[in-house]
Amino acid sequence: MSLRALWIISHEKGEHASIRFSRRFATVELRAKRLSGSSYVAVPEDDCFLQLLLTELGLSGSKQAFVAQRDDCLYRPRSPALELHITAPVKGTLWPVLAISQAHLTLACLPLVDASPGQRPPLSSLLSESQGLSFLAGLQTFLLAPGSKQDGEGLVSRLALLPSVLLQVCPLGTPLELPLTGTLAMPSPITSAGIQKQPAWRTGLYRGRAVVNVSVVETVRSMQYGNRSRQDLWDVYGTVACKCEVEGVLPNVTVTLSLPPNGSPLQDILVHPCVTSLDSSVLTASSVEHWDGSAFSGPYKFPFSPPLEPFILCSYTSQVPVPPILGSYQLKEEESQLHVSVVLKLHESVKNSFEYCDAHLPFYNRDQMGVVEVKVSSGQLDVSKEKNLLVWALGQKFPKTREVTMEGKILFSGPEPGPSEPLCTGLTAYIKLYFKVPDTTLSGCSVDQHSVQVYSSAKPRIVTSRELHSKDYWIWNSTGTAPVSSGQMIV
Amino acid sequence: MASGLVEKVSAFCRSPSRFLFGTSSEVFLAELLRELRDDRANYTVKVLLLSPLCEYPALLCPSDSVGEETALELMSIFTQSPPKFVQFRSQLLVALTCVLTCSSDVSGRLRAFPDFLDLLLQLAQDTSDLHGDAAPRSLRATACDCLREMEALYPGLLSQRLELLGGLRHQETSRLHQAYAGLQALVLRNAVYQLTQEKEAGAARLRALLGGNESVECEADQNAGPASGKDSAPLSSVILGPMGTVPTLHTGPDCKELRSALSSLLEESYLFTPLSQAALLYRLTEVVAMVPAIPPTIFRAQLLRLLGTSEVTLLHTTLLMKSAFTDSLFSSEDEAFLFKRLVVLSQHPLLSTPEKLFYMDCILHFPENRPISCGDSDEALPVLLTPRLASALLPVVFNDSATLLSRFNLLSLVYLEAGEEEDGRGLEYLYEHLTSLLRIVESGGRRENVVTFFRAAFLFLFHFHHVERYCDNLSQQLCQLYLQHTRFAPHLINLADRTQEKLPDSSWALGLLKALQRVISETPISQTTLPDLRWHLKVLTRAAEEGEISQHGTLRFLSGIIPPSSSSLSSSGDWRLGNGILGVCRRLLVHPSLESMFIPLADILQHVAGHYGDTDIRDHARLYYTLLTTLSREKLATVLAHHAEGGQQVKKRTLSCLMTEGEGLTSILTIHETEVAIIRLIEADCEQLEAEDLVQDEAERGEPVLETYRAQFSSAAFASQVTLKFLLTHTETRDARFDQLFSIRLHFSLTDDHYSELQDLSVPCLFRERPPPVVTLTLKPREPYPSSLHVSAIFTTQDGLTWHTTLPDIRVCFQQIFLPLPAPPSWGRAGRQAVFAGLWEEMSSETGECASSLFCCQLEEKALSALVEKHFLPFLVSDPSHKDEFRALLFLPPQSHVLLKISSEEDAVHFRLATDNWELLPHINDYLLKITAS
Repeated sequence: MSLRALWIISHEKGEHASIRFSRRFATVELRAKRLSGSSYVAVPEDDCFLQLLLTELGLSGSKQAFVAQRDDCLYRPRSPALELHITAPVKGTLWPVLAISQAHLTLACLPLVDASPGQRPPLSSLLSESQGLSFLAGLQTFLLAPGSKQDGEGLVSRLALLPSVLLQVCPLGTPLELPLTGTLAMPSPITSAGIQKQPAWRTGLYRGRAVVNVSVVETVRSMQYGNRSRQDLWDVYGTVACKCEVEGVLPNVTVTLSLPPNGSPLQDILVHPCVTSLDSSVLTASSVEHWDGSAFSGPYKFPFSPPLEPFILCSYTSQVPVPPILGSYQLKEEESQLHVSVVLKLHESVKNSFEYCDAHLPFYNRDQMGVVEVKVSSGQLDVSKEKNLLVWALGQKFPKTREVTMEGKILFSGPEPGPSEPLCTGLTAYIKLYFKVPDTTLSGCSVDQHSVQVYSSAKPRIVTSRELHSKDYWIWNSTGTAPVSSGQMIV
Repeated sequence: MASGLVEKVSAFCRSPSRFLFGTSSEVFLAELLRELRDDRANYTVKVLLLSPLCEYPALLCPSDSVGEETALELMSIFTQSPPKFVQFRSQLLVALTCVLTCSSDVSGRLRAFPDFLDLLLQLAQDTSDLHGDAAPRSLRATACDCLREMEALYPGLLSQRLELLGGLRHQETSRLHQAYAGLQALVLRNAVYQLTQEKEAGAARLRALLGGNESVECEADQNAGPASGKDSAPLSSVILGPMGTVPTLHTGPDCKELRSALSSLLEESYLFTPLSQAALLYRLTEVVAMVPAIPPTIFRAQLLRLLGTSEVTLLHTTLLMKSAFTDSLFSSEDEAFLFKRLVVLSQHPLLSTPEKLFYMDCILHFPENRPISCGDSDEALPVLLTPRLASALLPVVFNDSATLLSRFNLLSLVYLEAGEEEDGRGLEYLYEHLTSLLRIVESGGRRENVVTFFRAAFLFLFHFHHVERYCDNLSQQLCQLYLQHTRFAPHLINLADRTQEKLPDSSWALGLLKALQRVISETPISQTTLPDLRWHLKVLTRAAEEGEISQHGTLRFLSGIIPPSSSSLSSSGDWRLGNGILGVCRRLLVHPSLESMFIPLADILQHVAGHYGDTDIRDHARLYYTLLTTLSREKLATVLAHHAEGGQQVKKRTLSCLMTEGEGLTSILTIHETEVAIIRLIEADCEQLEAEDLVQDEAERGEPVLETYRAQFSSAAFASQVTLKFLLTHTETRDARFDQLFSIRLHFSLTDDHYSELQDLSVPCLFRERPPPVVTLTLKPREPYPSSLHVSAIFTTQDGLTWHTTLPDIRVCFQQIFLPLPAPPSWGRAGRQAVFAGLWEEMSSETGECASSLFCCQLEEKALSALVEKHFLPFLVSDPSHKDEFRALLFLPPQSHVLLKISSEEDAVHFRLATDNWELLPHINDYLLKITAS
């Protein structure tokens, strides 16, 4: 449950890599040494570690096509726990090095393996593994928190705070809590709170009028092929975010999610650790087995004691019968030009009031677009500056028919070749939809203002909201071969 | 001072070894301590100065005594530091913990240890900070963490303080109670473990530890206990060992105290941060596992909350509980539910990729209530993972490569288990997926896509190598891919190597290599580019390693590429390409079917030996040819054997393997630079140019001599060169490595443009003890002026290394360019005198470039004769016996003349000069000054 060392590395796709911060925990290292006896492998110095890590992550020597150590086809699980092969001063294997990356920042740590020496225990039997992952993720959030520009001074100033943050959250290599991400990196003073014990994750006391903010955000993903042999796919998942400003050491709040009659049940529910108790029926529905129609379908009650900062109370997935927008995309190669035909239909159950709705039609492995003779029945069409992308802004509303079309020809006669993409060769092409619909959810899930209960003396102000947006919403050209992406093949 | 020290600290932490290279640890430690003691120093800086002591205590305090002194020093700094600098004091406690535990060797503990322990316990009980300045960081929490770390290092250290710790936790209502709880749980677990190791320990001892009504026996224990120096090693997890090895403490049903301590910790666990909560639950799991009297159902109340959690570490703890207690805590429904939950989590859209991969690993190592397989080392598929459930985890091309491979592996295991061999749709899906990855690679995927595809291909082969239908097709597809992108040759060779290594019974790799050999040998050579050819040769080399593969195709291919007529490839004399060809030949020489390909192979080698554009390659081909034609098969195999041993480590260079294969040759292929000059060129003692015995005068010539003389220059090469001789010797620097040098190649470079570029010169060898070789340098002047030349050399030493060195510059003196009159050999003295006279007349007119001059000096007659004898004899035109006037003609290539009439006058010796290149006058003047002065 302890870490031997911690590193924070910045790089640009493997180039210009440098260790921005590193920390070794001497006492944990001593434990590692005594626990593993003769098989002990010491943590190498920073430069050496950096090189080994980059090689293992496949980031080093980007100019060389094949590097045996990096590109060997032999499969071994590499992520999230890596093996580093040290050659000097003594040969040995450093395991398990956990590494997580986001953008240009890679965080790594080496958890202590508290097993008797000899056989390597499976990763899943080491609690330090998940602790390390949680801790790294927390540090990552802290370092890249909104408000800190990714590459700029934000990171530098947060790195400068790190020594004092570590003294707080992980003084001797055993992570105790995650750094706070708010603008105030330091928790408020320790205060005695009477008889009631204060939760360790509640960093202070709120004084003022009670305000509870609950918002349900649903995301819909889809893969549409327009092809009989291939089943279209879509899924929906939602998160319930809360911000609770409530007085008291351990205040009680209950949020209830409800579905419309005949709504399909919420599945795969995950809850925040501040939820005090759960009814077992809440957890029964799962996306990996078939729903027999008798499952519990709400209302879903979540009693909890909120932390001060905003948090995700719970998340769920849902199986909705139809995708919100059904698309058809057809391309035909006609001599040097491409004939484009697109139809998008908005399902009648979806509220026809968008914050935005854009369709992007990128074209790869071709020259830039020259002549674009394309008509749309609604909305506005733009050619991107790079001349390889059509942007179709559908605006706030679909027409009354709930159907829009695009028809026309594109001549790829531009002076320069456009971008290449190995996935989209020949007639393999797609439309990607970006949309956001306020005040609606596909699953029908909602939080009624009156169902939010706060056990406090004063009457709280309660704000609830809902929204739906798209992510990875692809419509593939039905005349080309779409890449296999079925995640739900029926066996 | 402080800022300098801060920089030093960061340099130290970056690389202690490099830092200590320049200074010693004592100096650095003394510097740190001095600054830490300084009251005026900034406390924020002081916090930074502690980091070397926290991170590398053993380096800075390499011995007990230094550790002891440093610890005492830090303790005194602690007592003197104002309480308001909480952060500094906290960091100081951390540093003290590190110094006290890490600087002593394993055997003993420092004398300051008990004092520090007392200090920590005292701080842990000091609740005054609540009413004081309400600092953000409580010293108490740090003290607790230090105590926890010390307890982890020395299990049992605090077991006598359990009651105290329990009390502290109980009283604490601020969020610090978490720190006490973590400490208490660890101490409890260690105490219970120690009891399990003692004979006759039971409920009473346990109660004594928890309840505090310590018996005398316990008191005695405390004094002799761990705190006083007897050491115990840190404990590994007790529930991690093989099944059934958990140590147990038999207490009988009566252990109320323990039960109530556990319940109270569990009740409050909700109040802890997920990280601390997971650690606490894990420690309690260990305790319950060791004490059979406590039923695991004590955790039941927490389970539902834990199963629904979004926190990876909390769910993980639940799994570990499952692993420890199996069906005594989890019914089969619970188990199925937990397993489904894992499947859901390993593909949940809201979790991060590392978390999902972690859950995937948990699926493969799921602790089943009734495991069927007992192999606990390898990944065994849980029975609960049906193909239907697993279909949620099918790999898709949009997955990142780690996820993709992990899913591919998992699904392969599932379908293998389900016995899908012939017409399973799952297997079909996997193969289809592999094909779509191949398409991406084919249409120019990035390096990551390529590596991922080959890894997936390996996985597929590893699991389904027996399903011929797919594997044969894969071979074909790979050949297609190779023809389109020959640069994947190393990947394909690697794939063949790995499958052969991991699947010794499968012939797939052999089939692939055979197929590759076939497609290569069928490719028209006219369509092959040079890079293609290099990759082809690599693949063929690998295929030639297989005794079972017939090599006739390879031979056909080789014979196709070597005739210079067929392509310009091999006639180009590319050394690397030549080595590629030889590499294949070398493997063929040890191939079991050598007999049947003796003649074609000999032909190829002979052809290369005779016609290849690179000498080195020709030499090696000749060697192979000789080996092939003269040695018996057995001897040949022995000579060339070391590669067959499979050791890629073999770096020995034998005569028969001088080339190729990369890395081992780096130092040989690198040219090393000498530090000082090793060799030099010194002027050879000029054998005097003999005055030629001239043909006695023939009759007066009819034709005008000057014209005849000048006509000779119509040929550009006529008399245009000067030959200089040098001795190549060692310098005074003695270095045994360079006593014997071979293949010395001298390179000369000009410092001005008076001469034409010079050719490199080769000297076969230079031995210190042998006479120095003579180096003849031929200069072709453009203008006959003195100059100097830069000289460098490349040579080989006895150990086979190649060196580059710079020699001292050599000077080309003015007189070294003098040549005698290049008159036709048939001419006698009269003809020469006629030329002299003719030229003198022309030059005296001083038109154009011509000039005349007079140089005078004092010389005895005898001295003059000697001087002429010494310096001008080869150039004399007049009869040397005519002592009243010497006439000398100096010819300076390409076409300059200096004419001298030397005579003794009354007052002095006169050198009358005439030249057709007035710019030579200063040089002549210098020269005359020099020779007359000596």
